[in-house]
Amino acid sequence: MSHQRHASSLAWWALPPLLLQCIALNWSAPLTWPTWVLVLCALFKLLECRRPFERRLVALLQLLSTGLLAAQLQGLLASVLQLVAVLLALAGLLGHELAGALTFRGFLQRSLQLLAAALPLALVLFLFVPRLPPLWTTELGPARGAVSGLSPDLDPLSIAELTLVEGSAARVLLAEGQTLPMDAYWRVLVHEQFDGRRWQHRDPPVSRGGSGPPRVGEGTSQWWVVEPSATRAVPWDGSALTTSPDQWITPEGELLVGVASRQRRSFRLQSTQRVADWQQRPPVSSERQSPPDSLPRLKALARQFRPLPTGRERLEAVESWFRGQPFRYSLQPGAVADLDAFLFDQQEGFCGHYASALAALMRAADVPARVVSGYQGGHVVQPLSGNPYLELRQRDAHAWVELWLEGEGWQRVDPTLWATTTGLPAAAVVAESGQRQEENVPWWRWLQWQWWGLDLAWTSWWLSFDQASQQAWLQMLFGAQLRWLGVTAVVSGFVAVAGGWLVLRMGIRPRSSLVQSLRLLTRLGVVPLQGESFPRLCRRAARMHPDRTTLLEAMADQQQLLAHAPLTPTQRRHHLRQWRKIRSRLGRRR
Amino acid sequence: MLHRTAKPFFKPSRPCAELKLGHRSLYIIPSRFGVLWIAAAGLLLLVAIQTGSNSTLLLAFVMLGLMVLAMFLTHDTLQGLTLRCAQPSPTFAGEPADYPVQLESSSARPRCSLRVQGHVVVECDRIAAGTTTLSLPWIAENRGWQLPPPVLIETIAPLGLFICWGRWQPQQPQLIWPRRRPGPVGETHPPRSRDGLEEWQDLRPVREGERPALVDWASAARGRPLQAKVFNDPEEPEVILAPASGVALEAAGEHLADRIWRLHHSGACYGLQIRTITLAPSKGVRHRDACLEALATV
Repeated sequence: MSHQRHASSLAWWALPPLLLQCIALNWSAPLTWPTWVLVLCALFKLLECRRPFERRLVALLQLLSTGLLAAQLQGLLASVLQLVAVLLALAGLLGHELAGALTFRGFLQRSLQLLAAALPLALVLFLFVPRLPPLWTTELGPARGAVSGLSPDLDPLSIAELTLVEGSAARVLLAEGQTLPMDAYWRVLVHEQFDGRRWQHRDPPVSRGGSGPPRVGEGTSQWWVVEPSATRAVPWDGSALTTSPDQWITPEGELLVGVASRQRRSFRLQSTQRVADWQQRPPVSSERQSPPDSLPRLKALARQFRPLPTGRERLEAVESWFRGQPFRYSLQPGAVADLDAFLFDQQEGFCGHYASALAALMRAADVPARVVSGYQGGHVVQPLSGNPYLELRQRDAHAWVELWLEGEGWQRVDPTLWATTTGLPAAAVVAESGQRQEENVPWWRWLQWQWWGLDLAWTSWWLSFDQASQQAWLQMLFGAQLRWLGVTAVVSGFVAVAGGWLVLRMGIRPRSSLVQSLRLLTRLGVVPLQGESFPRLCRRAARMHPDRTTLLEAMADQQQLLAHAPLTPTQRRHHLRQWRKIRSRLGRRR
Repeated sequence: MLHRTAKPFFKPSRPCAELKLGHRSLYIIPSRFGVLWIAAAGLLLLVAIQTGSNSTLLLAFVMLGLMVLAMFLTHDTLQGLTLRCAQPSPTFAGEPADYPVQLESSSARPRCSLRVQGHVVVECDRIAAGTTTLSLPWIAENRGWQLPPPVLIETIAPLGLFICWGRWQPQQPQLIWPRRRPGPVGETHPPRSRDGLEEWQDLRPVREGERPALVDWASAARGRPLQAKVFNDPEEPEVILAPASGVALEAAGEHLADRIWRLHHSGACYGLQIRTITLAPSKGVRHRDACLEALATV
C-alpha cells in the first residue's frame, strides 16, 4: 500500500514543475489554453483516479502537457523543469505496474534508466529523420499581454517625459571570435504612414513559406533571445539571413519570427556582409506621402531644399540646417503641440521627436522617408559561464530615419546625433548604451546576467540543430549519396534499440550482494538447496572447490556480520566493500 | 483485467505438464493505453513540426523509443517463466475449485495475472525468484476427471503499453465430484458386524496422551508419521447408500454426493453401493473421498 502511495506521490510531484511553467505562459498564445487544460485535466484526474488505467492516463497527460510546454518555453530553466516533469511522470507510470517492487528512489532510478534506454533511438530519429517545415501557418498570434517595449505607433509628441524602463529587451550571442558591435543599430519596426502627428506601423500579413528556403553555411551564427513584445517583429542588424522557415524578412526590412510575439522567442540568424534586398526596394506611395497641410512652417522650410537636384544634397542641406539650430536633447521635453512647434519653437526633445521631424521634413522635400524604431547600442555582459553576449534593454530603444537616396537605396540617418554634436547635456543618453558598464551592479542583476549567460549558451547549443543545420549535417555525412539515409537510419535505429535494451537489462541485474554472491556460486556449480543457509552453502562450495576455501569462508563471514551484527553505517559500508572485494577475487579465480 | 486479452483465435495447444514461456508461446499487442501513447506521440510530433521546437520533437521521439522498448520489456516479463501443474484437490461440480499452478522463475518478475479461461483473474503482484504456487479458481460443470480450460497468463508491466500473454493447457486433470443436490437416496441397513474393536476403519493424527494400543505401529515402522486407529462403535447404526429407484443415474449421484457429505459431517457410518461398486460402511475422510470418487467416476 505504501508503494502504491509512492507511485501516487510521484505523479503529484510531476505537477508543480508543470504548473510553474504554465504560469509563465502568455494567456493569449494559441497553445497556452490547451496546455492549461491538459495540466488541469491531469490534476483532477489524479484527484479522482481509482483504476490503474486512469493513473496511467495521468502520466500520459503530464507527458503531453510537457511536450506542449516545451514547444512554448525553450529556455534553460524551462528545459530543466521539463526534464524533471518527464522523469517524474515516467516514474509514476512505472509505479503502477512495479508497485511493491521498488522504493521511491528505485522508481526514480528506474525511470532514469528508461529515459537513458529510450534516448539512443530518440536521438537517431532526431538526427536522421528529415525535419519538415510547418504544415500550415496561422494568424493566431497572441494579441494581448502586458509587455513593455516598442510600440507600433510612434507618437513622440504626446510624450511629455520619456521613462527609461530597465527591463531586458533581447540578448544576442555571436559565434566565437566575432566582436560584439556595441554601437550598432538593431532595427525592429518600420513606421511608414504619417498622419501629421503619429508615425504608424503597418503589420504585414503572415508570409506563407517565409523568406524562401533557409540558407546554410553563408556566415556565422547569431543567437537571439527576445523578450515578449507587442509586435511580431524582432531586433536584427538588417543584413543577417534567416535560418528557418518560420522567420521571414518583410519588404520594409522587418524581421518576423513565428507568430507568438507575446512570449520569449529564441532563434538563430546568420551574419552576412551583403546588402539586404529590402535596402534596394524602391519606395512605395505611402513612403512618399507628403505631410499634411497642418504643418505649414515645416513645409515652407522643405520648399527651400526642393530645388536641390539630389536627395543626398537635400539631406546634407537639412543636416546643416539642423546643426545650425539650437536643438537640445531632453528626456523631459514637455508637451509638444506639433512638429512645427518642435522644429521652430521648442527645439527640445528625444530621438522620437528628431526622427519624426526629419522624416516629415524630407518627405516634404520630396525625398522618400520613413521612421524606424529599434534599439541602439547595448550592454556587453561577460558571464562566468563562457562567451560574452550583448544585452539590449528597453532603455536602449531608439528611433531613426531611413531615406531613399537615388543610387544608394534606403540609407540610415540618425538625426539625434546632430543634436548630440551640438553639445547638449542629455544627448549622451543616445550614444552611451555601448559604454554603459555600470560600476555598481546590484547582486541580483549580476546573478541575472550569469543566468542569462547560461541560458544563451543553452539556447545556442540546443536550438542550433534546426532544419538548416540538419540539412548541412546530412549533407556532410552523406554528400550526394543521400539515398543511404534511410538505410543508415534503420540500421542505427536497430542498434539504438539493442543498446537501450542492454542498458535496461544491465539495470535490472540484481544489485544485492547476497543475490550477486548466489549468482557467482551458481556459476561455480553450487546451487542452494531448500532451507540451506548462506554459510552452509559456502561450506558446501568450499568442499567442492578446496582451493577457494578461504575466500568462501570470508564471504560467509561478511554476510553473517551484515545480516546479524549491530553495525554503524560506516561499518556496514566497510563490510559491504569487503564482500564486494571477495566476490571480485572469487570471480577472477574462476 | 478480464477484458484485456483478445479472445483466443486459435485452438488450444495440446495439454502438457509444464510450459516454459518463450517466443512460440507468447503473444503481444499494444494495449489501449499503448494506442493512446502513440497518438500522443504523434500529436507532439505535429506540434514540434508546427513550432520547430527541438525539445518537443525529442520528447515525441523518446515516447516512440519507449514504446519500442516497452515491447521487449513486456515480453521479457513473461519470457522464461515456467508453468507447471501441481496436484489439484477434488471438488464438487458447480462449486469453485482451486487449480494449483506452480510458477518457476530464475529471477524476480513484476506483476502479472493468471486465470483459467473464462474464470476469475488472480493477480500476482510480484513473482519472486524460485517457485511460486498459485491457486486458480474455476468451476467445473461435469463430474469425473476434468481438465480445466486453458490457463491464460498475461502482463502489461512495466509500462502498460503492451499486453503480453501466453496460453497453457495443463495436463493434470482434477477430480470433480458430482454436484451436491439434496434428494431421495436408497438406504439399506446391513447386519451388524461384531468385529468391533478388532477392525479399525480410519487413521487420524496421534493426540497427546494417546493409548499406545491405538497407535498404528505397523505404518510407523514403514516410516510414516504416527497415526492413531479409528474404530467403529459396534453399537453405531450403519447405512448403505444406493441410488433411489426411479431416479436417473446422474441425479441419483448428485443426491448421493449430498447425503454422503452430510453423513460425513454428522460422523455417521455409511457405505455405498452403486452399479458394480460396493464400499463397506465406514467413516473418515478417506472413506468419504473414496465414496465420492466412486460417484464421480461411475
